Amino acid sequence: MRYKIILFFLILFTGSLIFVSSCKKKNEEENKPEFDRKGMLTNIGNNSIIPNYEKLKTALQELDTAVTAFNASPDLTNLSALQNAFKEAYKAWEINSVFEFGPAEQEMLRANLNTFPAYVVKIESNITSNTYSFDDPDNITTKGFPAMDYLLFGVGADNNAILAKYTTDTDAANRRNYLQAISNYIRGKVETVNNAWSPSGGNYINTFINASGTDVGSSLGQLVNQLNQDFEMMRTPKIGIPLGKQTLGSPLPAKAEAYYSGISAELALTQLKAIENIFLGRSEAGVDGSGLDDYLAYLKAPYNGGQLSDAIKNQFTTAITKLQAVPDPLSSTVQNNPAIVDAAYIELQKLLVLLKTDMPSALGVLITYQDNDGD
Amino acid sequence: MTAIENLRKGYRKNIIHYLEHPVSIAPLVFLRIAFGAVMFFSIIRFILNGWVEELYILPKFYFPYYGFEWVQPLGETGMYSVFGILGVSSLLVMLGLFYRVSITTFFIIFTYVELIDKSNYLNHYYFVSIISFLLILVPAHRSFSIDTIRKPSLKITSIPVWIIGIFKLQMVIVYLYAGIAKLNYDWLMEALPLKIWLPAHADMPVIGSLLDELWVAYFFSWFGAVYDLTIPFFLLNRKTRSIAYIFVIIFHLATALFFQIGMFPYIMIVMTLIFFSEGFHYKNLSCLKAIFKSYQPQDDVLSLYSIGSYKNRILLIILSFYFLLQVLVPFRFLLYPGKFFWTEQGYRFSWRVMLMEKGGTAFFYVKDPETGKQCEVTNCDYLTPNQEKMMSTQPDMILQFAHFLKEEYKRKGIKDPVINVESYVTLNGRGSRLFIDSNTDLSKEEESFLPKSWILPFNENKPSDK
Repeated sequence: MRYKIILFFLILFTGSLIFVSSCKKKNEEENKPEFDRKGMLTNIGNNSIIPNYEKLKTALQELDTAVTAFNASPDLTNLSALQNAFKEAYKAWEINSVFEFGPAEQEMLRANLNTFPAYVVKIESNITSNTYSFDDPDNITTKGFPAMDYLLFGVGADNNAILAKYTTDTDAANRRNYLQAISNYIRGKVETVNNAWSPSGGNYINTFINASGTDVGSSLGQLVNQLNQDFEMMRTPKIGIPLGKQTLGSPLPAKAEAYYSGISAELALTQLKAIENIFLGRSEAGVDGSGLDDYLAYLKAPYNGGQLSDAIKNQFTTAITKLQAVPDPLSSTVQNNPAIVDAAYIELQKLLVLLKTDMPSALGVLITYQDNDGD
Repeated sequence: MTAIENLRKGYRKNIIHYLEHPVSIAPLVFLRIAFGAVMFFSIIRFILNGWVEELYILPKFYFPYYGFEWVQPLGETGMYSVFGILGVSSLLVMLGLFYRVSITTFFIIFTYVELIDKSNYLNHYYFVSIISFLLILVPAHRSFSIDTIRKPSLKITSIPVWIIGIFKLQMVIVYLYAGIAKLNYDWLMEALPLKIWLPAHADMPVIGSLLDELWVAYFFSWFGAVYDLTIPFFLLNRKTRSIAYIFVIIFHLATALFFQIGMFPYIMIVMTLIFFSEGFHYKNLSCLKAIFKSYQPQDDVLSLYSIGSYKNRILLIILSFYFLLQVLVPFRFLLYPGKFFWTEQGYRFSWRVMLMEKGGTAFFYVKDPETGKQCEVTNCDYLTPNQEKMMSTQPDMILQFAHFLKEEYKRKGIKDPVINVESYVTLNGRGSRLFIDSNTDLSKEEESFLPKSWILPFNENKPSDK
């Protein structure tokens, strides 16, 4: 009897296999090469994440030098140099915003460095009192890039007025200290994260490459999750909210990222391109290596009669084109020409559906830790 | 009395005679101990994973079941107490102390917790609920239990065979319906969703590279279907039982390895042991004998469990009704139009496990009809990631969330908000497409058991109209 049941199963399986394979057309090619997930992670880790953190670190060093120079001799030349260094550093940050897992998650980099809009009243009271701790959760909106954006572009109507705040104002010395304190804070956080990734430091790169499964804690899972989260944090707070998407169409220009320096659209575009680069596996130097697009192409994930990887690539291109068309300052554009912003917003939404729905589904990546017995 | 009536009476007598046929209580005792132990472990795991907080304290909004909207969570202290009671009662069930009270408590509290939020629905939670319900009806504490030490007169050695039978029948139903659910085109002919899920594990040691092969996905699909449809019969047959049980272990361990399905495989592995003979269970329980022996000098005296025929009749009615429901409920989906996996009308409580890969994104819009202006909702302001994921693909939950938004925006000052949803869903790797009619004002739609006309039909070949 025992043999009978084994025999039963065997016959059924072989039978069904023969049946199935004869039904299937023979176009499924044999011996396809396996996709090297570890290779993809190695590429993204070594050629994108680490060099981008290095680049951010350098940009922040330059920012810090500019702050020191300005504080030593506050004049218009140094102010303008500092403003430029700030814009460069902010852009460098947008590229790294998507890597909010591992060390960055531990330092809560995204929240600590870029919670906007800045809370101006509290910043000013911090400056006046000259006692504050950036580790205090109440100070989340008084530090990072948004606070510096205000301090360098928003404290006066023009650069002369801004300069006066650092030279002749009663709180001038305190304000210079505050500027330095923010610079130190940002630098400190980023250097901690950078060290944690570095092979000579915490060597998180090794952990990243070797967590090559598909569960929630895996590098692929984290990458896909963060890619989506970062994308949503770009689409809604940076474009949607200023455009009035959550306030019955009434624009909220002051809620834009980098409201004072007026480089909001440029920052959003930088971030979108950074997300695209992760998807493509494109390195910091611009070389297209193994990325999520290659993985999707390998899996032959379909979409609308074509390939999902192509659909996503094309939608990235469309969304980037539309976002490029949005002129800065975004705070004026959402009021003068909301249609052009809306056009970009619509394309971003289409891209979000592909990234959030189709991609994780095709990759078999899980989004939550909870038990799951089917969808 | 005619001959036929006589025959009929004799026939009925025979069935009753068969159902009342005395068998050893050992398998039932085993079931009680195993169930209590596995539940105790599950509850502890649930608490340690931080899920009490994540699932029942932190969410701002819950998705109750239709007709159970009054079931609400109890706040932090309340929910931790609830899980504390669950832990203690499962332990008491295992020990057989104040059994009827503890198993009834467990059933009520566990079912209460499951009714709070349907985004946490799992087939095995439903399974736990109904097994604990069945356990209320049976004397599982009347041997090898602290109750029999407390009150030696409770001790019995035999029970009528139907008591073991109802648990076997329940297991057979679970397996058969899980098998029937797999008899669909995607599962059998396309090897979906396994074709998507298995390659994701291609980096596993030893078998990893196999999982990338297409034929393996087909093999697993067909194996799974044949396994579910045949295993109950091999388990019922004494001769094939032990080898079938090896398949049970292999099958469930394989699912545990590939999928994040929590305790389900282990619960099934343990519960399937009910099919084994009384001798097998008696032997296993004999290690406990030493503890109980001194208290139970009448161990060898055969005593049969019996309840009055009046109570018997009530039990018979309850169980007939119960099993009728068990048999019919999974087929209720036939009453609804459209592609079933797409609409999911009548999907739950039907032993459909790991059957499809579905994902979605839903954008909700609230419109003020007075001004015609609208705003977009940020779902994660109100929902946890898991709730958002579950809601995006299930129409009844989309409707519930829309109603929640209606109340929310009324409070924000919009008198009669219009709620629309633009939702895109992908099913088994076919490109995402519109799921719900985005022109429907969901604030005006009511939940009911009737088909939901605002679910767009799933068009196999038509690309999404984005």
